[in-house]
Amino acid sequence: MRRRPAVSRIVIHAALFLLLAIWMIPEVYMLSIGLRTPAQAFDATLFVWPLTFDNFVTVIRDNPLTSFFLNSLIVTLSTVALVVAFSSLFAFACAVLNLRGSLTLYATLLTTLMVPLASLVLPLAILLKTFGWVNTYAGLIFPYAALGVPFAVVVLKAFMEDSPKELFEAARVDGCNAWQTYWHVALPLVRPALVFVGIWQFITTWNEFFLALIILTRDEVKTLTIVPMQYSGLYMANPGALFAVLTLIALPLILLYVVVQRAFVRGLLAGAVKG
Amino acid sequence: MSVTASGSVSGSSGPAARHYRRFAGPSTYLFLLPAVALFVVFIAYPIVWVLGESLFSEDRGGANTFVGLDTYLSVLADPVFWIVVRNMTVWALITIPVQMIIGGTVAYFIERHTDAWRGFFRTMFFLPVVTSVSVISLVWVQIYAPYYGIAQEYLGLFGIEMASSPIGDPSTAIYALIIVNIWQWTGFSMLMYVAGIANLPTEVLDAARVDGARGLRLAWSVIVPMLTPVTKSLLMLGIIGTLQTFPIVQLMTGGGPNHASEVFGTYVFRTSFVLGDTGRGATISVIVLLLALVLSIVQIIYLGADLSPSGRKREDA
Repeated sequence: MRRRPAVSRIVIHAALFLLLAIWMIPEVYMLSIGLRTPAQAFDATLFVWPLTFDNFVTVIRDNPLTSFFLNSLIVTLSTVALVVAFSSLFAFACAVLNLRGSLTLYATLLTTLMVPLASLVLPLAILLKTFGWVNTYAGLIFPYAALGVPFAVVVLKAFMEDSPKELFEAARVDGCNAWQTYWHVALPLVRPALVFVGIWQFITTWNEFFLALIILTRDEVKTLTIVPMQYSGLYMANPGALFAVLTLIALPLILLYVVVQRAFVRGLLAGAVKG
Repeated sequence: MSVTASGSVSGSSGPAARHYRRFAGPSTYLFLLPAVALFVVFIAYPIVWVLGESLFSEDRGGANTFVGLDTYLSVLADPVFWIVVRNMTVWALITIPVQMIIGGTVAYFIERHTDAWRGFFRTMFFLPVVTSVSVISLVWVQIYAPYYGIAQEYLGLFGIEMASSPIGDPSTAIYALIIVNIWQWTGFSMLMYVAGIANLPTEVLDAARVDGARGLRLAWSVIVPMLTPVTKSLLMLGIIGTLQTFPIVQLMTGGGPNHASEVFGTYVFRTSFVLGDTGRGATISVIVLLLALVLSIVQIIYLGADLSPSGRKREDA
């Protein structure tokens, strides 16, 4: 009887590792093709030997990948900053200040969560053209922020409502005005939620494809997410180079997630505490 | 100091609310302004614009004429539109439950039966979600490829013969794309269920165990019902996600072959940006919008409004 739990633990771990191994096949396959010599590039196997880094050296030398990376970084960081700032201000007004009309505005804002981007791309494209924002960072940053704010508001508002009201009250009694209370009390209190919201916004913005495809046509402003398709044409006969590029495009966000996943999951878990 | 507020939990009524209003003044409305401004310019105005545009038709000279609901009737008479509707239905009916079941099962075993490897499994199963979808699409094109792809090679070992790429065959294309979607998003369902399971009250689980519920019975009759809020959130997000579907299809099949894998995203994209028919593109956009609205209302009526990532109940939404 005592040994059974140990055996079942081993079986469950083995099953999870097996499923994970299957689940990782596409990721491993991507890396594996990127590390192949031209002679083996078309082999229908997951693993080959020997491996080479030549493809990576070639594609880094021949392509402006750093520039695409910086474009992605500028667009993503700006969007995250706007979303975190605007949504925390809004959530504070709803949860702490209880401004008249704020709950109606909150409900209105929430309808955005149900709007599919597919139905907005056409009007956004025309609007951004009117603004002269085609092929600019702003043309992505502001629509992304508008689409990201509602979800962030839901999370942050819930966190602020769960914070002890006494702290806000104490701040007021101590002579803080609304802005000081927001900055010195509310923001530090909901830090895990801000981190969670920021990371999720980073992931979705970094990988957004539809609007980027429509708004960015010039190489100088293109983000990483829309360049893979042009490389699939360029390197059609050279899968090794193509998959080296794909690996380099996917890698930054994967590495970032591995680094921040602890904080991300902590925020997610904290949000569910009072289920 | 905090006497007045300490007794009040809600904050939206009672003495506490009056106290917070003392923060108020015209300048406090600036807290709401940036988010509202973004909403008005980039969400509300575009919606109003497509609504209007869908009622007009642009002729060759560029002049707009009012055509009422003519464009709607013409879209509804388009066989491709109904292929899209069928594909989206199939997409939702397969991806949502499959992602829930695999994600939920994996989450259950990770949370209840692992310790040292828990963080590792949580992170690894989530990696496809953070892998750029445009990269994923091209990797799967390669996997599915005839002659040199690994799918035909390894499925052959199990006696499954793939003569051609499944994305090149009209009868299998949509299912081949659905598999990619399931692969990418199961980790998301997993993490949501992880959050739900990790936060289950231990007392309830202990009580159930005392009553003799163990192993799979505990999972099925206690844990699954208690995770209903997460399941509802995933249903909501799954339906919206289905209507959002675009990159995988655009990059792997472009909606083909012969419209067999067309989804709303590719349909709007082709009509508006490839064919340049703004009126018709706007009409399709409005139809997608209305569909999302109706589905959301139906869900809110039958399931309640659960919009949070962790499936938390929101009474005030």
